[in-house]
Amino acid sequence: MTARELIRKVLLVDLIKGLSVTFRYQDPREVYTEQYPLERPQVAERYRGAPRLNVNPETNETLCIACDLCALACPEHLIVVSSERNATTRRKELTTFTYDLSRCMFCGLCEDACPTDALELTQDFELANYTREGAIWDRQTLERGPQPTVYKG
Amino acid sequence: MKDEHNPGTAHLDLDTPEAQLRLTQQERARRDETFLDANELVLNMGPQHPSTHGVLRVILKLDGEKVLGTECVIGYLHRGVEKIAEHRTYTMFNPYVDRMDYVAAVSNGLGYCEAVEKILNVEAPPRAQYIRVILAELNRLASHMLWLGTHALDIGAITPLFYTFRDREEILKIFEKYCGARLTTHAFRIGGCLYETYDGFEEDVRKFSKFVAPKIDEYETLLTTNRIWVERTKGVGFISAKDAIDLGVTGPVLRASGVKWDLRKAQPYAAYKDFDFEIPIGSNGDTYDRYLVRIAEMRQSLRIIQQAVDGLPEGPIMAKIPKVIKPAVGEIYHSIEAPKGELGYFIVSDGSTQPYRVRVRPPSFVNLQALDKMVRGALVADVVAVIGTIDIVLGEVDR
Amino acid sequence: MQSFLDYLKSSGTPGQYGDPMWGAVWALIYILLIFTGISVAVIAMNWLERKILAHMQVRLGPMRVGPHGLLQPIADALKLLIKEDIVPDEADRVVFWLAPVAVVIAAFTVFIVVPFGPTHAVTDMNIGLLFMLGVSSLGVLGIIMAGWASNSHYPLMGALRSSAQMVSYEIAMGMAVVSAVLMTSLSSGTGTLSMIGIVRAQAEQGVWFIFKFFPLGLLAFFIFAVAMVAETNRAPFDLPEAESELVAGFHTEYSGFRWSLFFLAEYAAMIAVSSIAVTLWLGGWMRPFASWHGPKITMPGYWEHPELGAVDFAFSLAPAATFLLLAGLSFLGTVRMPRHPMFKIQKAGLAGFSLALAGIGVLLLVPPVRDTIQDIYWFVFKVAIFMYLYIWYRGTFPRYRFDQLMKLGWKVMIPLGIGVLIVTALLGVML
Repeated sequence: MTARELIRKVLLVDLIKGLSVTFRYQDPREVYTEQYPLERPQVAERYRGAPRLNVNPETNETLCIACDLCALACPEHLIVVSSERNATTRRKELTTFTYDLSRCMFCGLCEDACPTDALELTQDFELANYTREGAIWDRQTLERGPQPTVYKG
Repeated sequence: MKDEHNPGTAHLDLDTPEAQLRLTQQERARRDETFLDANELVLNMGPQHPSTHGVLRVILKLDGEKVLGTECVIGYLHRGVEKIAEHRTYTMFNPYVDRMDYVAAVSNGLGYCEAVEKILNVEAPPRAQYIRVILAELNRLASHMLWLGTHALDIGAITPLFYTFRDREEILKIFEKYCGARLTTHAFRIGGCLYETYDGFEEDVRKFSKFVAPKIDEYETLLTTNRIWVERTKGVGFISAKDAIDLGVTGPVLRASGVKWDLRKAQPYAAYKDFDFEIPIGSNGDTYDRYLVRIAEMRQSLRIIQQAVDGLPEGPIMAKIPKVIKPAVGEIYHSIEAPKGELGYFIVSDGSTQPYRVRVRPPSFVNLQALDKMVRGALVADVVAVIGTIDIVLGEVDR
Repeated sequence: MQSFLDYLKSSGTPGQYGDPMWGAVWALIYILLIFTGISVAVIAMNWLERKILAHMQVRLGPMRVGPHGLLQPIADALKLLIKEDIVPDEADRVVFWLAPVAVVIAAFTVFIVVPFGPTHAVTDMNIGLLFMLGVSSLGVLGIIMAGWASNSHYPLMGALRSSAQMVSYEIAMGMAVVSAVLMTSLSSGTGTLSMIGIVRAQAEQGVWFIFKFFPLGLLAFFIFAVAMVAETNRAPFDLPEAESELVAGFHTEYSGFRWSLFFLAEYAAMIAVSSIAVTLWLGGWMRPFASWHGPKITMPGYWEHPELGAVDFAFSLAPAATFLLLAGLSFLGTVRMPRHPMFKIQKAGLAGFSLALAGIGVLLLVPPVRDTIQDIYWFVFKVAIFMYLYIWYRGTFPRYRFDQLMKLGWKVMIPLGIGVLIVTALLGVML
């Protein structure tokens, strides 16, 4: 071992360098914690969160054309779309749309498959529920969006 | 070895530690052995353990503190992913693949998409390949950072974990902005990429590379020359190059034993032949070298990312593939260099929309077989270090 | 009554005082004070460790229980008290019960000779140092009892390792301690093992033993510092209680209050060995640069003199300054708390806390209080530095493997200790 290495070993240079790294990080500005209920994380635009059935903002009609492509694309087969044919316009109209959130893996294949941008995975990630049935969303919940209970204080 | 006095144990081969664990207390007493008298102690590092990464059960046969043999019991995280593949179409199976090596989900997706593209005989366009390389290398960085944090934690240094996770957050933010998820990314599609790079993608990646280079130096300051770290990892868990090749070990474990084999150079896939990077090799196949190899790999990944971002070509991001994917009858094997080793997909197609068989060759599963060779003769504390250094993810081992 | 007034004027510790009854009463009062003090110190250490370690790891630590987690140790203590008392089925009940008791007794009994000031100790045995080292070794017995009584592999292995480690490093500690004791004989001709005597020897020689015969004193201190971390099973020598190895070592099977006794004993032992280090090498209760007195100060009993030198005066403001600084920091914390109705109570609590600290700070400016508190303050300050070092080491260093630990103890620390001892003795004889 060279003299320089020996001196470094005796004077514990490597240990002191490590100590200085941890010492430096004690600065309160280095803290990386987000304190959750107060500071909610800002998620990206493409975030695959809670699903939503979009409606046309002016007419308040659903954008879904009941084509069933999302149900066919879903790997878990958890979307059930039922429709009826409108006698006058000869088009399919959506009646019920069931989405089982408990089995969903948020892969986004349904969102990719939808031709009209009706089904969209939004940025909502707070999806906790008290019951298993509460995780199966019907059309109303999907259009309205989840409305979590806001606890005070 | 058989025990004539104990007919109840006739069906057991009492040499394996597994068998010894099954002896009841009466049988053991009848053999006049208490656990203190025995020269060999069978210790169960059970599935719930703060340091085996995931649910891995290791049965150790000890002589005092020295390890005489090990037996790994896996399967606690088996979810039947390969069976699921037989009942899903090729596109539908894509999200499931992320869940195997959940730490580095992007490379799983890359391997699968490339394998299906190979069987379909299409090639992803150059822009898609560059995007794939950028994300795959970011993914390699993320996986190695997590490995570093947990490995240091096993050896007792509790702070590097938080530093690496903090830096890994930045990578996960980029993933989130790109494809919408942090962990199970489902970033690629068969034929290319679905998502175009978002506005500011290149800036983010460049900013990130500038941000993380000094951080890697910091991890090195904390660990590489630290005498305690060196003593704990040098000479521990040695595996020779010949043994590594015989056992089929790949990835940084193989490269640390001195074998220059990296699929990115040996069988280039995606856009890797366009980039200039080195393969770090170790000389002694011990834990310290594996640590150095992975740190060097992190730096080389940064190099690749910078080259890729600088040279990102314009063009389409999705190749022309049919709407319904029905490959010709046949089978292929395609492998990529995942952060943990060679990740291979063997797909057998019977002409329908659902694959007949998808067999995944997980690197962690094969590397775990080297555990026995590495810890014979070492101490119990080293077993923990060696499990950490092989870098296993149980999701991959069990699928 | 007369003997009580006589005591107030005397300058001895209760244990030395002639009258048995008053001596016993005062000794009891001191014991209660020390016991409460150490318990409060342990609770504070718990909070400090979690917060400081968290900040080193770029996170926050407890924030919710009280303002900035100040009530967290109390919540932890309550939780441990009301937990179910689980005793393993095949455990040896008597020994299982006795083990934590033994460890706590060993850890707390040493404090009767720890000198917080020239007369602030319960007693000043003339073999005080030997008493401390001997009684703290009894803790090893408690650990072995704990490992054995649990009747399970992991605790037994942990206990045996722990005891082997503690015993090996005690030898190194002993070598370092003896070299310091040798240095005490250089001023008076006879050395002393009495803790108060050792500090007095440093005062008489005008130098802290860490700086004596540089670098010998430093080397002896270093050996003791390493041995003391190994003795108390703290990082980087905490293999016996490493989470990733043997679950939790010898106290695996203990839960609830029994576990908290082990935990209490560990921190008390940390404070005890730090007190030894402070007394032997860092000048005990003396303020830094104590040899720079003002013009009219003589030794000993310099605080009794009414005219203080400028330097003395400046240093005497340190206790008040510390408390006022802490009050300022917690006030800053109050001001920076988010303006959310959720935080009203926490804000009020923290503001009250800062006011209390400021009150204490102002109280410490009053001359009689200021003078009595000086010795205790400097002693506690130095021990607090050691506690911070303990936490710092835990946050930075990986763990030594057991055989490397033993190799360090036997092949490095002991030869070094013997070398330092021989050279100190030679220098002492020659100079």
